[in-house]
Amino acid sequence: MIQLSIDGREISVPEGTMVVDAAAKLGIEIPVYCYHQALGPLGACRICLVEIEKMPKLQTACTTAVREGMVVHTGGPAVEKGRQGILEFLLINHPLDCPVCDKGGECFLQDYSFWYGSGKNRFEESKIQRQKDYPVSDYILLDQERCVLCQRCIRFLGEYVGEEQLMLEGRGVHTVVSTVEGQPAHSPYAGNVIDLCPVGALLSEPYHFKARPWNIEREETVCSVCPVGCASLVTGRDGHPVRLEGRPQPDLDDYGFLCDHGRFTYDFVNHPARLEQAFLDGKPASASAAVAAVGERLARVVEKSGGGAVAVLTGAVHTVEEEWALAQFARESIGTSRLAVLKPVAGDLPLPLLGTYADLAAATGVLLLGADPYEAVPVMHLKLRAARRAHPVAVWGLGDRVLTRSTLPGEDFVAEPGQVAARLGVVLGGEALDGRWAELRRGLLETERLVVLWDGADPAAAALLAALAGQRGERPTAVLPTHGPRNWLGAVRAGISAEHAAAARILEDAAEGRLEALILLAADPLRDFPDGDLAARALERVPAVYFAGWFAPEPRHALSAMLPTAAWAEVTGTYANMEGRLQVAHGAAAAPGQARPVRSLVTALARAMGHPLRLPDFDPFQDQDGDRIARPAKQPAESAGAPARPALPPGEWRVLTGDMVAVSHPPSEIAERTREPLPLRLHPHDADELGLGAPGGLIEVAQGERRFVAGARRDARIPAGRVFIPRGLADVPANRLDHGAGVKIALADPVREEVAAP
Amino acid sequence: MLSGFKAIANGLKTTLLMLKEPRDTIQYPEKRREYSPRFRGKHMLAQDEDGHELCVGCGLCEAVCPAHAIRVVAAGAPGSRPVSWTERYAVDYEVDLIRCIFCGMCEEACPTNAVRLTPFNELAAYSRLDMVADKEELLAPPVRN
Ligand code: SF4
Ligand code: SF4
Ligand code: SF4
Ligand code: SF4
Ligand code: FES
Repeated sequence: MIQLSIDGREISVPEGTMVVDAAAKLGIEIPVYCYHQALGPLGACRICLVEIEKMPKLQTACTTAVREGMVVHTGGPAVEKGRQGILEFLLINHPLDCPVCDKGGECFLQDYSFWYGSGKNRFEESKIQRQKDYPVSDYILLDQERCVLCQRCIRFLGEYVGEEQLMLEGRGVHTVVSTVEGQPAHSPYAGNVIDLCPVGALLSEPYHFKARPWNIEREETVCSVCPVGCASLVTGRDGHPVRLEGRPQPDLDDYGFLCDHGRFTYDFVNHPARLEQAFLDGKPASASAAVAAVGERLARVVEKSGGGAVAVLTGAVHTVEEEWALAQFARESIGTSRLAVLKPVAGDLPLPLLGTYADLAAATGVLLLGADPYEAVPVMHLKLRAARRAHPVAVWGLGDRVLTRSTLPGEDFVAEPGQVAARLGVVLGGEALDGRWAELRRGLLETERLVVLWDGADPAAAALLAALAGQRGERPTAVLPTHGPRNWLGAVRAGISAEHAAAARILEDAAEGRLEALILLAADPLRDFPDGDLAARALERVPAVYFAGWFAPEPRHALSAMLPTAAWAEVTGTYANMEGRLQVAHGAAAAPGQARPVRSLVTALARAMGHPLRLPDFDPFQDQDGDRIARPAKQPAESAGAPARPALPPGEWRVLTGDMVAVSHPPSEIAERTREPLPLRLHPHDADELGLGAPGGLIEVAQGERRFVAGARRDARIPAGRVFIPRGLADVPANRLDHGAGVKIALADPVREEVAAP
Repeated sequence: MLSGFKAIANGLKTTLLMLKEPRDTIQYPEKRREYSPRFRGKHMLAQDEDGHELCVGCGLCEAVCPAHAIRVVAAGAPGSRPVSWTERYAVDYEVDLIRCIFCGMCEEACPTNAVRLTPFNELAAYSRLDMVADKEELLAPPVRN
């Protein structure tokens, strides 16, 4: 620890701390533009000048590390004069068009000029004019005139993300930020530069000219799109969300970076497909009439066949409180124990193994088990990169496709399709392993702190993960589940089973005619349940399906009633992310149409059933672990192996599937502009053999009588002979294909495609 | 009794004497008072010679208004047709003249001198809604005749 004094106050900080951070610890703000803790010192803007005794000139606080006995003054005439001078220089070519600038009112150039500037400009010549609406990406505009050349944006994309897509061009006063070779920045993390830019140079296109800081509601929330649950701020204007920003959480070492799939899909709550109106038997109805009718029908079923004839499936996207209200409704008013979370994967994480982001930050080894964080849970990829910057981390990918990438290098172990768990079993068994696999075994068992990112696809992996933790003994092993739904751990906290078997039992009961009614809360079994055929049989057989949620599943004629519920940003409540941390999200928008919070919906339903529901107080945080959901104690695990599957007939393709948040995010008009037209993936050799152009084209996927057409892209990370189909894709429902049997692939017949198109 | 008459006569005398004096009453609405050009009455939104609106929809008037009387919704100019003199303009601009306290802060805050308080002060209307002046109304400032 190093002892120093800043503005006459003593503080001791670890060696290597920059003066600016030491001052921040004392609550003394030193202005910065180019410095950011995530990016480290650069010293480009020089606004952070401070006076340090025994140093002849003013020093930049962001590049000066603390020294024993240093005496720093962050104010005084010399410092003020220095800052004033820097600001005068920065404003020489700045257009000063604050009234039309989206950043006006929340801009550090305004704030610092106000606090430290001179209020006068001695520069009388005309200012250099540059491009005002330079498109950086589909979502980002750059006003080159406003840029103060702090290079945060360039360094974030180049160093932090590892995707160099922005650069400085020109010299001297003619220097501007531009994209590399004029190609739009396509990184899924590019949107963060909007938050990072200290001035109004990088702007969000969807938010352009939409609002000003004084006529908005800006509330703390968490991104609702994937299970990472990134801390964010939602901006509401006139009852609609108009922006999502990252929210740094310094106490959690989280800089508040988001991915663009989350940042630019907030408009799903106002999407035309959003359910805003109640429907009864396919016809629009008033919300009260629909609720009364559904309540009466449920009451009749319960009276006739008992509560057990009704089952409830939740898609676990509502808040923990709402899931809890649903659970109370199911147990108390209906009297059923058939209540489960609908997950898109069949694997059940052993909860004692559930890890945290802190585990990830401290990990020495990371196993990507079937999960590609870049595509499924994008900000986890950034967290992994941040961990690697801090200390060496070994990364292993074990899946049926390549899971590491150039921005997250590691060793890849590609298993046969559907054999990922079997491979892990062989590795843990430890018999007759050849070179690389033996290395993997050694790495997994001997690395100091292991974190596994598991996609949950292969149920057999659950027991193996427990066995792995057992074999590692005292060395910590943590698993982070990357699969959805977004708040499934919150539903677990609310007392709803998230086991695959529980949901499967409900659908089997339905398919075999043991159910008289099925209630779906934002659940879409046909799209999401791993066995799509079972879901289809269940929905066909069950006499009544009542849906409540945001987007009604297709086919809608199968639903006896649709009741709209209030969505994310419209209610205040808690969500649990994939580390089981409960986070409060506040509302900033109004629920549209007849949409109402689940809590109010279930109490109304209960009243209509004649069993008024009294919801006692429920506090999701009232748990021994505070803001984390409780982890049960570890069970002693036996080691397990998985049987290999029979070889596939030649000439058939094997289906791979995985999560892709670019496909699974809720429908968004803003994100429409970057919708992936070619979501399927093939190895380039296979694509060549098929005669698929570059970057891809339409292919037909056939299995038996079933034929689907969708766009496919070449991707060298998919092994030859395999086709990758993201989960939840409407065009090719991967859950309707038998993965053990293989599929046939051909170029799509363009004529038939045209006929098929509406 | 006599003193009573005296008092009345006295009073009438003052009244009759006043008939000779110049009148302070103005026969409104046939006649109207002259106001100082600085009088703060109903708002207007100014345009430049080419018909471009001066207002850029910055919302500063909205922010400064102590009575929350102003509502501004901005947008980018549609297509290539600029509405204001820059690419941002106010799609909606409303002043609630019932809320307004005619303090003139909006005028003072406006960076482009777009919103101005005119001397027009005849603000009666049959309904409250009619007292909310929209953009169209403000762009065609009323003139006192
Ligand atoms: S665009 Fe913004 S973040 Fe990038 S260099 Fe300029 S001021 Fe800095
Ligand atoms: S990683 Fe997930 S939670 Fe975070 S911003 Fe992206 S979509 Fe949202
Ligand atoms: S005159 Fe004053 S009260 Fe009236 S709109 Fe302007 S700022 Fe508001
Ligand atoms: S009238 Fe002036 S202050 Fe008000 S929005 Fe328009 S430009 Fe801004
Ligand atoms: S913040 Fe220190 S030089 Fe830019």
